[in-house]
Amino acid sequence: MYPPKFGYVIPDSLGEATEFLEQHEDAKALAGGHSLIPMLKLRIIRPSYLVELKGLKELHFLSREGGKIRIGALTTHYEILKSGIPLLSEAASTVADPQVRNMGTIGGVISHLDPAADYPASLIAMDAVVRIKGRKGVREESFKDFAKDMFTPDLSPGELVTEVVVPDFNGYSFSYKKLERRAGDFAIVGVAVLLKKEGGVVKDVRIGLTAVNNKAVRADEAEKMLLDASPDEKLIEKVSEKAMEYANPTSDIRGTAEYKKKMVKVMTKRALLDALKR
Amino acid sequence: MKLFEKDQKVKITLKVNGKPYETEVEPRRLLVHVLRELGFTGVHVGCDTSNCGACTVIMDGKSVKSCTLLAVEANNSEITTVEGLAQDGNLHPVQEAFWEKHALQCGYCTPGMIMQSVWLLKENPNPTEEEIREGISGNLCRCTGYQNIVEAIKTAAERLRLNQPLYQRR
Ligand SMILES: Cc1cc2nc3c(=O)[nH]c(=O)nc-3n(C[C@H](O)[C@H](O)[C@H](O)COP(=O)(O)OP(=O)(O)OC[C@H]3O[C@@H](n4cnc5c(N)ncnc54)[C@H](O)[C@@H]3O)c2cc1C
Repeated sequence: MYPPKFGYVIPDSLGEATEFLEQHEDAKALAGGHSLIPMLKLRIIRPSYLVELKGLKELHFLSREGGKIRIGALTTHYEILKSGIPLLSEAASTVADPQVRNMGTIGGVISHLDPAADYPASLIAMDAVVRIKGRKGVREESFKDFAKDMFTPDLSPGELVTEVVVPDFNGYSFSYKKLERRAGDFAIVGVAVLLKKEGGVVKDVRIGLTAVNNKAVRADEAEKMLLDASPDEKLIEKVSEKAMEYANPTSDIRGTAEYKKKMVKVMTKRALLDALKR
Repeated sequence: MKLFEKDQKVKITLKVNGKPYETEVEPRRLLVHVLRELGFTGVHVGCDTSNCGACTVIMDGKSVKSCTLLAVEANNSEITTVEGLAQDGNLHPVQEAFWEKHALQCGYCTPGMIMQSVWLLKENPNPTEEEIREGISGNLCRCTGYQNIVEAIKTAAERLRLNQPLYQRR
């Protein structure tokens, strides 16, 4: 399979990249290419130019400062999995397979916004912030608002994601549980849990779901049931049942809607039990 | 800024198995095709959809699926293919172990499987069986199954750790 013809641009700076993309609305940024190149080969998209981001070192970094972790857009899944970021590193270890993780980037995932991508469950649970640069300057947006709908990030022509910022969640335990049909596949259901306990009592909890809606969601009511409680099996069962109400999956090759919905309960329960025992 | 139009050829330089190559490619050309045309036909096209791993090569120290990479992106990179593993006529310990443990039947997936194993053992010289299975989860074998492949990687890991290849000569 050959991609359709396109021109190729290698910018010397981030500014050049955003300027070119703004002037050519049918051009596309190329990060790891692991969503873009398959789409080109299938002729789903026909961009005029690809703009190579690889050489823009200002997009490739990972730093920790003042309780925050800043993750440059070009950070690969493998680099994230190696860097001990609560929850997100665990999610990274479940993305695709090792070769894809060596190429795919966090900036690419959140700009592509496949409804079954793994990171979104964690990013929404972590209250991640996305930093965006366009010709007019830099802006920040919560990941929740940035992810408008499936395949629809809040990006204007010429804007690029430069980094994702997450709190370091010191003292939290966490778990990401992914149900997949075969190794390396996208999630049928993905559940991310972050949890803080003090003296056996839950002081903060976040439950993020991916693959079961157009975009990732938080199971707010399920979270509330756990707050200030000392969870036992019975409560966890009820909470997991509640989380199921936040799933509106569609039937596809990975399973029927009914099955996926039931699996939200199972995976939420597993993630909660896992986080509680860590 | 460098700009190439869609019909324009781009001159690229690749260092493959230690030797520099210069070639001209359209921007849309995939790395796997360029490598095969340069003579590295050990790089196989399998599924052509980034799933099967038959096209796996090591680029600048990372294992990648060359069917999902543009040749222009690989400009100035260092690439190792299965042809570049043997040294002075001696097979690489991973190659030897695949041979000894009968880790192949038809052999189609083998070059990709071996390249991924080489990368895996560089990242994790002492993997558990589970880590080996996870490590080759991006490579599909449709005939022998994975048992002997996993055995071969275990054997290779041991020999690499002890720096003790099976056959010294050849
Ligand atoms: C076989 C296979 C299996 C996979 N399995 C999974 C899986 O299990 N879970 C999962 O989550 N993902 C999976 N993926 C997707 C993978 O994680 C991709 O790497 C990811 O979706 C896209 O990242 P990328 O860096 O490759 O982006 P690219 O493909 O380069 O770009 C994707 C899109 O984002 C845009 N873009 C890229 N970077 C930026 C930026 N900084 N600012 C603005 N726009 C940008 C591009 O223009 C393009 O539209 C899989 C992919 C493959 C090929």
